[in-house]
Amino acid sequence: MSATSQHGFHPDAESLNAFAEQALRDRERAEVLEHLGVCARCRQVVALARGAADASTVRTAARPRKIAAARPWWNGWQVAWVPAAALAATAALAVYVHMRNVERSAEMAKLEPQAVAPSARTPGNASHEDHAESVPPASVAPAPPAPAAKQEHSRAAKQPAEEESQFVTADAPQEPGTQYSGADNQIEVMRKAQPLSSAEAQQAPSRPGSATGGPAYSQPAAAAWETEQKQAEEQRQEQADASRVRSTTLKPAPAAVRRGNQLAPPAGASTDTVSAAPPAFMPRLLPDQPAGSAGISSERPGSHPIKPIHLPSGLAVVSSTSTGAIVVAVDKAGTLFLSEDRGGTWERVKTQWTGHAVAVRQLFATNGAMQSAPAAHDGTAPGASGNVSPAPPSSVILELFNDKNQAWVSTDGRIWTSK
Amino acid sequence: MAPSESVGTTAETGLPRGTPAPGCVLDRDLANELWRDCGAAEWGLTHDEFDQILLEAGTAQNFGRNVSAAQAAATGKQQAEFFRELRIADLVLARACAGGNERAWKRFLAVYRQPLTRAAIAIAGNETLGRDLADQLYAELYGLNLREGQRRCPLLSYRGRGSLMGWLRTTLAQRHVDHYRRTRREEPIEEIDVPAPDPPPQMPARELSLLERAIAQAVSSCEAEERYLLAAYYLDEQTLLQIARVLGVHEATVSRKLRRAKKEIRKQILKHLERSGLSRRAAEETMGADSRDVDVDLKNLLQTSQSEAFQEQAAT
Repeated sequence: MSATSQHGFHPDAESLNAFAEQALRDRERAEVLEHLGVCARCRQVVALARGAADASTVRTAARPRKIAAARPWWNGWQVAWVPAAALAATAALAVYVHMRNVERSAEMAKLEPQAVAPSARTPGNASHEDHAESVPPASVAPAPPAPAAKQEHSRAAKQPAEEESQFVTADAPQEPGTQYSGADNQIEVMRKAQPLSSAEAQQAPSRPGSATGGPAYSQPAAAAWETEQKQAEEQRQEQADASRVRSTTLKPAPAAVRRGNQLAPPAGASTDTVSAAPPAFMPRLLPDQPAGSAGISSERPGSHPIKPIHLPSGLAVVSSTSTGAIVVAVDKAGTLFLSEDRGGTWERVKTQWTGHAVAVRQLFATNGAMQSAPAAHDGTAPGASGNVSPAPPSSVILELFNDKNQAWVSTDGRIWTSK
Repeated sequence: MAPSESVGTTAETGLPRGTPAPGCVLDRDLANELWRDCGAAEWGLTHDEFDQILLEAGTAQNFGRNVSAAQAAATGKQQAEFFRELRIADLVLARACAGGNERAWKRFLAVYRQPLTRAAIAIAGNETLGRDLADQLYAELYGLNLREGQRRCPLLSYRGRGSLMGWLRTTLAQRHVDHYRRTRREEPIEEIDVPAPDPPPQMPARELSLLERAIAQAVSSCEAEERYLLAAYYLDEQTLLQIARVLGVHEATVSRKLRRAKKEIRKQILKHLERSGLSRRAAEETMGADSRDVDVDLKNLLQTSQSEAFQEQAAT
């Protein structure tokens, strides 16, 4: 060993420290170890130095721990941030997509009535409107839509009001499968409702799953009141199945039977007419939806069939209703016309309301309480579905709505007061 | 790697001038590599000063070679092997401090001042004593002590074997132990309790003398490590953990070695007793003698070294 002793017979601090730090070669280590075996002083020196080193190590090790404890808590989550951020991003994306869908559907529900309002208020257009609304926005453009359903759907969205007004007036031939597929114009149905021959009924395609009903209004209206009540009950049960109704609206409408220069509803179409009231799940256009807006004329059963409406303005009828001999109708311009001879002659009613008249309907005052003709809440159409109070109405009040959903009421159709 | 340039003669650096062996050269590539590794440039040491320190350290230890090979110049490989076993950065700093280099002292104070004070406090077990101990060592390190009219710095004895901090701690411990041992002798004995006379031994004197002789022979025949373990554990009353840290082994290893050492000593004692003419049974009965009847100074036995290595070194 080359170490020089500092204290006589003892190894120097260098050797002792190197021994404690395991830095000596084997031979030198054995020599130091042999000395330590017999030298209490050097053993004590080594033990003290080693103890001080351990204390320093503990202090040094404790310091970073304290520093680490002083670090912000999120520093220890560096690895966890990655999945957390991915999760948050996924959640944000899902919320965004959901909100966008909700927004789009609300926007469509908002825009469609406005876009078709001038013309869609015609009873004939209501079926297309119902179709458009019955299909949620996400399913407006389904991936593999049935061709006929797609065609009908696009047609419902793009069909011009002119064509629909022609349907109402029934002057022009209608495109097959467009008029009788949804909530139909009961006026037109009633006007055209003649008993079909058995041959015609067999020719006309019946809607799958629907009852093979004959023309609902082939009997005299007064005599058919009770019958219609029963039919209404049956139709309510049928309409309880919303999916069935929805699929019905998406199915291609049965071809209309051409009768002369006019189109007659096919045999199954009469059933469609009856069951075409908006189902319960359909959103309502207005808080208190007028009958006309639903495309259903609120003519009471039992009244005489009215003539085709030809308003003096020459515009299409947006909404109309009749109480016996009195018929009121709103044209596309928002003008209200009154006829006291079941549509024979028309006179313009002086505007006593604000805004743009868009719909008229009738309320039945039974025992002092007014009841809306269309049972809008149960989704059935008045008159058409027959979902009215079984008690005969004691008096009829006409109700007019403007484009701001404000209502005016009248008993004679001439004098209107704000509701 | 061949030596290429001698850096034995440099300009005045303020460092203690060694006396490199004639023709001693330092491998330039090795010196450059060590210069980059030690980071001495960070605290202002020049390349020439660094080379000078390396050369003096290597020459002082003959580059780790035997004395017989001292006359031949160390090859680059020998130099590399020698320097790679050393803590070059610590060695250079210590030598620069010993040479009075102010930049080195600033570095030394910045790095070692507080750890040294804490180590002194830990060794002394008292903050006041610890600070005094640290200040005293600082005074010595700074070279305030003169020997034969010359400044004598203990840092010159540091040769880079082990860390400089470890060397400082060991130096502190040496001073503390020496001071304690010196002052302990000066403590007055306040009371002396006269021990009660021992009862007469129940075992015949012959067996006891045989036993004492057998114990002495068994202990003296222990290996160095066993002797150290026995002394540290039974005499110094160190814990297994303390011994394990000094030896760099696990605590369980120390325990196992201790148990083996005791077993071996017992075996050796029995063998000596039987060799002395006692039967096996008589030897075992002798082993069961009361320890108070046995006049054996285990401390003296353990402190008697069979090796004269350090005594020889001291003589040289």
